[in-house]
Formats: sequence, structure tokens, C-alpha cells
Amino acid sequence: MSKTAIIIGGGAAGMETASQLARLGIEVDLIEKQSRLGGHLNSWDRLFPNRRDSKEVSEYLELGMNDGISLHMNTEIDDIRMAGERFTLALRDGNELYSDALVIATGYEVFDARKKEEYGYGIYDNVITSVELEEFFRNNKQKNLFEGIQSKRVGIVHCVGSRDEKAGNLYCSKLCCVTGVKQAIEIKELMPDAEIFCFYMDLRMFDRHFEEMYYEAQEKWGIQFIRGRLSEASENPDHTLLVKLEDTLTGLPLKMKIDLLILLVGFVPSPETQRLAAMLGLKEGDDRFLCAADEHTSTNSTAIPGVFLAGTVKGPAGIANTITDARSTALQVAAYLK
Amino acid sequence: MKVEGKQRIWMDYQKEIAEDHFFYVRSCVRQNFFPGSEKTFLRILKSELQKDIYENPSHTTCSGIGYHTDIVPFETAMTMVARQFALMTEAGYENFTTSCITSFGLYSEVLETWHHFPETEEKTREFLLRATGREFKKPNNVSHASDIIFRFRKEIRDKGKYKLVNQHTGQPLRVVEHIGCHYSKMFPSKGIGGAEYPYVLIGMIEDWGGEVIDYPERRHCCGFGFRQYLIQANRGFSISCSKKKFDSMEPYKPDMILTNCPGCPMFLDRWQYAISEMEGKTYGENGHGIPVLTYEELAGLVLGYNPWDLGLQVHQVPVEPLLDKIGIPYDPEMKFKGADGQDLGKPESPSFLKFYFENV
Amino acid sequence: MPDLYNKLFEDVRFREGLKACLNCGTCTAICPAAEFYDYQPRRILDILQTKDDSQIENLLKSNTIWYCGECMSCVTRCPRGNAPGLLIQSLRSLSQELGYFTESEKGRQQLAIKRTIGKWILEYGYCLFPSEIMPAMHPEQGPIWEWEHKNIEAVMLRLGANYKGTGPGILRKIPDEALDEIYRIFEVTGGISRFDKIEEFSRKKAKEMGMDMEDGTNDDYMKFIYTANSGNHTKKHEG
Repeated sequence: MSKTAIIIGGGAAGMETASQLARLGIEVDLIEKQSRLGGHLNSWDRLFPNRRDSKEVSEYLELGMNDGISLHMNTEIDDIRMAGERFTLALRDGNELYSDALVIATGYEVFDARKKEEYGYGIYDNVITSVELEEFFRNNKQKNLFEGIQSKRVGIVHCVGSRDEKAGNLYCSKLCCVTGVKQAIEIKELMPDAEIFCFYMDLRMFDRHFEEMYYEAQEKWGIQFIRGRLSEASENPDHTLLVKLEDTLTGLPLKMKIDLLILLVGFVPSPETQRLAAMLGLKEGDDRFLCAADEHTSTNSTAIPGVFLAGTVKGPAGIANTITDARSTALQVAAYLK
Repeated sequence: MKVEGKQRIWMDYQKEIAEDHFFYVRSCVRQNFFPGSEKTFLRILKSELQKDIYENPSHTTCSGIGYHTDIVPFETAMTMVARQFALMTEAGYENFTTSCITSFGLYSEVLETWHHFPETEEKTREFLLRATGREFKKPNNVSHASDIIFRFRKEIRDKGKYKLVNQHTGQPLRVVEHIGCHYSKMFPSKGIGGAEYPYVLIGMIEDWGGEVIDYPERRHCCGFGFRQYLIQANRGFSISCSKKKFDSMEPYKPDMILTNCPGCPMFLDRWQYAISEMEGKTYGENGHGIPVLTYEELAGLVLGYNPWDLGLQVHQVPVEPLLDKIGIPYDPEMKFKGADGQDLGKPESPSFLKFYFENV
Repeated sequence: MPDLYNKLFEDVRFREGLKACLNCGTCTAICPAAEFYDYQPRRILDILQTKDDSQIENLLKSNTIWYCGECMSCVTRCPRGNAPGLLIQSLRSLSQELGYFTESEKGRQQLAIKRTIGKWILEYGYCLFPSEIMPAMHPEQGPIWEWEHKNIEAVMLRLGANYKGTGPGILRKIPDEALDEIYRIFEVTGGISRFDKIEEFSRKKAKEMGMDMEDGTNDDYMKFIYTANSGNHTKKHEG
């Protein structure tokens, strides 16, 4: 009997791993707990670095879903048992699935901005997250998010839930900075007379064309960058926000009236990722993301033979890197199953 | 504004407050400026709530003001704290409650320091033994007196005669709540509701019928700043902090300010006076200023105690407009009289901050 | 020259308060002193992180470390778990131990605090006492305090205090045995030594400045440090 693989998680990583394995002729079960594939990609409008439509990437991933892949939608896992080199998955609906290899691709969630109490998310009307903004861009191109807002001053807050001992996450979420710069440009496109401020600590423009986007944001779009971490947001009588931060480059504390505050929320490992890790005994780092067998030379396998990792279970990563990583996982799985 | 958002946060910061058998230590500032408040607190706990609350006459200042003006070294402050704990241990109590917020902050800081740096606890025990022959056990529970009133706010409401409602308009009173910095800024988990949206006073206000105002400078320090007030050359800092708060809360038209720290009401009260003398500006309605109350005074009003027993006559900003709004009767003639009704004269009227009755 | 950074490190508050600063400015954003004074708590950590004794010495001799109001708002916000407020306390302690505090206008004020608050702690067992809070030194307390101060016994009686009385109660006379215990606590823990140092260094400074310094609160030096304000403590904005 030929060997099979089960992939848990139908986001970009899971889909790409599945389609690559199917191409190599390996039978794959792909388990997804929601009713559609694509994960967080379904929430994004345009992707950095060149602001192309995310639907194009979704379509590419969908194309790979062929007959060699058995899709299990709306499916949750109750238990995983290992016997020798075989895995038995007990599903919530009572069924069981078997395989010789397991790929954990259960991804991430965004930081719950409510935990940053002093920013007023969930309390003040005009505080939203970058995810909500992205969903607005995707679904409401005709409607005005800024309806009823007078002077159109937008503040974008970097490092929300990241690099923050008090939020419980010391790590940098890597991709929020470029997201913030991208969204700043997109808001300015929609509202050319808006004043847009990015409140940052460092600008992590690490990948191809990111730095150029930052330059464009300043030079072409007039986005203003203030180096200071937001300390607090309060509400004025007219429901605008009063934000406090220090402009560390001039050494002066700053108070500003802002109409709309956008919180760049970071990555946290999804509860499902942590649950499966506990079930399987997978090693977690201090940052609670999962550890691969070797951080340089073996980033797709784990210490447990037959258990592989793909995508953001290992930490913050963008779509491009996730897809590449998934292909690498597929290769490792295929080699293992031979 | 979505209140549910705040309520979710309050659920995260639940603190254990002891129920009975308290060892009580007093506040230097409160005794000096709001003696009626401490009297009222003990009266409420003993007569209304039938609690056992004990004060050892030998207890002293925790030296908090000395510590935060940096004339008292940390080791000295730790040993002063240890002595208070020794008195508590000797009296057979485990639940420690402080009248002062700076004290509360200091006791919390010392206990945390002993926890993280055990050698400091050892050293303190040595010092205390050497200096006084005393030994101590650490308290099981440390709470601030406002935590206790918070815990029993529903009982106070049920026994209460008055609600925080404007009897003329039927609307709840609009209350600004001001929490002392040392209550929860250093250790958010030690304050009910944490550091950003402390709940200890909001709980009282809401249960007693009032409405809480949120305004941008809600969490701004009143400006005591210890040395920033005590030395005349520095007072500009202190008054500026209070002024920031007043300017920020003014558009929301508060009926009163409620505080839990003993220093804050003194500053928020007196600086309104000083600002009026310096700039001719008063806050609140009709030039009367915004009345500032301690939680003991407010609890006492709700329970129907005589305002002049509570010590409201020694506030610079007149409290009568508030009493009239609630419908609490009072005798203006008795405001400045002594215990036997003797005439003590009366204070001069400020230039701008009007007394309520000019002819008393 | 004493090894200042190491001396600071001996203070547990310093160790607790300085982890590593990334200069994000959330502390300065929320600091009341930063609003009004030319002061940024972030700068304090920046300097301390260098471990450079000459910069630290400047700090200890400057007005900068005396602007803080110890409200601890900074502690609430720091994403690295630093506590600028605690560091200020350790800096102020060291500045007094070494006598550097007399080099700055704000630092010199410590003598006034020692001769009021410090004196009252040992004399009364309280940090404050009504008879000591003179309306003339505190005009901001208003006519209400003036009236109260004039009638203090009657007002205290009216409000249910046990003013200067025996037994429990508000502003009671704290028993002499208790005051003795406090004195001995101050002795063994270095409190008296701190007080003495404040006096000694201030005396030296007063002499240097050609001012009279006696023992109370009325001499030239005391009046000078209580009221002197150069007016140079706020930020200068150019342009």
C-alpha cells in the first residue's frame, strides 16, 4: 500500500504543501476546520510588496486542489495517536483518518488588541485593527469608512502586541511595518487630503521592495513617520481620539487629535497550533511558536519522525515565504515517505 | 464608547479583598486634611457593616512621603513597614488595610521586593529585631480602605438613604473618578480593574446611582509629586498637572470628582482655589468649582450622615451645590461651628471661588 | 572617582528598574514631568545604559533627576519592563549619599524636606502635622486652612479626632516608646546617616555660597533653597 500524508490546516501553507505532494503522486488528506480554504488570505485585499490583488494568489492555490487531495472541510480533530510510524486522527464527527506523515499547517492568529487596554480597542469607536481595515478595503470599495469623520487625520500604530513584555510577546512580528506603510498609501489613495501618521519604533523594511515602498510613501504620498511608540489613546467629547506619544527624534512629548486609529496587530500562534503541539509533544520556543528540528538546516521537520511543519506555525511569515516554505515541506515529506 | 469593552478588562483584574478582621493603619495626609473621612470609614465598618477593624495606637507613619522624597532610604522604609507588620502580627491579625494610597503602594512595593530579592527581607528582619526587638509575619491580604468600601458597596447602597441622582432633573450625577497613582500604576494586578481602567471607584459610583465620565486626562497624575508640592519653588508642576485634568474634564460638565487617595482630593480641591486666584477662572457651575470628595465622604453622604460630621466644611471648594443636587439636607449655620456649637468665626471668602452662602 | 554605575547596581531598585531600553518613548509620552520640564525619562535610561561614569556623575549633579514626581505612570507602559521611576529613586539616593545633590538648584531642596518631613517623622511619628503646616508657607491651602489652622483643636474635636490624645484615633500622640523605636530603626538602617549627610553637605554648600545656615527653617540658606527657581527648567522651543 502506498504511503499517505495528512495536512492539518487549509491556509496558504496547507494548500501549497497538499498540491505539491499531489503533483508528486502522493495521496493527501487536507483537513480544514472552516468551511472554506485559504485561511487569512481571504481577509487580505492587496498584498505587499507591489499591492497586487490577493485573489490572484488565492486562485493559484485553488488550482492546485486536484483529485489527489481529499478535502475534509468543517472538520476538527479530537485526538492524534501514533503507533510505530502510523498516525491515527480521531475526528470530531467520529470518523478516523490514517497516514504515514503529518504536516502541521494550522497557522496563526492576530493579537487581540483588547489586551492593549490603553489603546481603547473595543471601547472607543474610532480604533480599528489593520485586519479590519484590510477587510474594509476588500469588501467595501464603494462605501466610505471615513464617513462622518471631519478632518481626516489617521494614525497608524506599529508594534501592537509585539516587542512588548506587557502584551506577553517579546518578538517582532516582522510584517506589520510593511503592512502599515502599504495601508498608509492605500488610505491616502482613497482620501488624498488626509493626513496620515505612522507611529513606529523601528521600520522593519527587510524584504525586496519594502524599503522602496517606504520611500514612495514619504516622497509620493506625503505619509508622515514619527518615531515613538504610542503610549495611550483617549476619547475626546466629539469621539475623536487624543493620542500621546513621544517624538523620540526631537525628544518632545506629543499629543495629537486623530480621527481614526489603526492598530497594526502582530502574529500570535493560533490556539489550534498550540493544542496540536501539546497533543503531539512538539517543542515550542519561548515565543510559543513551534520549533523545527534545526533552525538552519532542517526547518520543515520536527524532532518527531513523520511530523512536519509548514508556514506560520513556526513564526511570523508573509505569503511568498509561506508558499516557498510549503514547497520545501512537501519535498521533505515526499523524501520521508519513499 | 462601548462600556462592554471596559467591563471585559475589569473581569481580568479581580483582586482578593479580605472580608473581615482588619488591621488598620492611618494616613498622614488624610488625618491632617480629611480627619472626618477616617472617622467615617471606621464608623461605617463598625456600625453599618459590623466588621472587626483594629487600630494599634502605637502604629506610625509608614514614612511613604519621606521615602518618595528620597530623604528616607529604602532599607529604612522597609523596616518601618516591617514594624507595622509586627504590630499586626502581635495583635493577631492577618488582613492589613491602609488608609493612604502612597502607603498601599509602599506596602505592595516592599512585599514584592522581599519576594523577588529575599535577601532584603532577611536584612529587614535583622534590622527590626536589632532596633526594636520585634518580629513579624507578612500579611495574608493587603487592601486599601477603598477596596473594602468597594467590596461592600452593595450593602452600603441597600442601607443608603440617598442616591447619586440629581433630584431636580432625575438624571444620574456625572462623576469624575480619580484614582491615586500608587494604587495600581506600579502593580496593575493589585488594583481592581488594573492600571488603565481601574474599577474600584466606578463600582461605587455606579452602584450608588451615578454615571461615570471618561475624559482624556483620566489617568493623569493630580500632580502631588511629593517634592514637587512640598517645596514652594516646585509647585508650578503640581498645579499644572491638576489644571490639565480640570481643562480636560470641563467639557463633560462633571457634578463632582471622587478620589481614593488622600492627597489627590486635597490637591484637586486647593488647586481649583489657587487657579481661581491666579487666573480668575473657576470650573464647574456658577463660579462654585467642582466639589471633590473622598470615597468615605461619599459613602457617608449615601448613608445619610450629617455632612458636617463627615468633614465637608474643611473643603475649599464648597460642597453645598452637590448636596442640594442630591437633596441632602444640611444646616448652613452649623457649618463652621465647633463640637458644642461654639462660634469659631469663619474663613475669608476667596476672590472668585464663591462660598455658597455669603451670609453665614 | 567612585565607580558610580556599580554603586547604583547595589540598589535593588536599580536592578529591578533597568532591564534594557529600546528608546520607544512610551514613558516620556505619559510622564507629567516631561510635559512641563525639559525632562525625558527615556534619556535617563539611555544614559544609564551606557554605564559611563562621567555621564552618570553629571546626571547626579544635575537638576534633571529631581524633576520626576514619582507617579510611576512610566512603569505602567514600558514594553521592556523597565521602571524609570525606580531608577530616579536610586539616582536620588546615591546623589545624596555622595553629596552631589548640592550642585543643583533642585537637589539642594532636599535639606528643606529633611528639616520638615524628616523632622516630623521622628518628632511626631507622622510625615505631616497640622501645627507645622503654616498658612504663610502654604498660601495655596487657602482661607479654609487658615481658619482651620487657627482653630485646630476645636476643628479636630468637631471632626472626631483624638488630637494629641492618648489611645487610638486621628492625630493621636504617638507613644514615646514608639517614637524611640522609630528613631532606632532610622539609626540601624542608615536613615539618620542619610539625614546627617544631607545636613553636612548642605552646610558645606551654604558656606561656599556665602549664606547663613542655622538649624531651623528660617535661615537664609533654607529660605533660598525653598524658593529659588532659575526659570530655566522648561523646554526651550526654537522657531
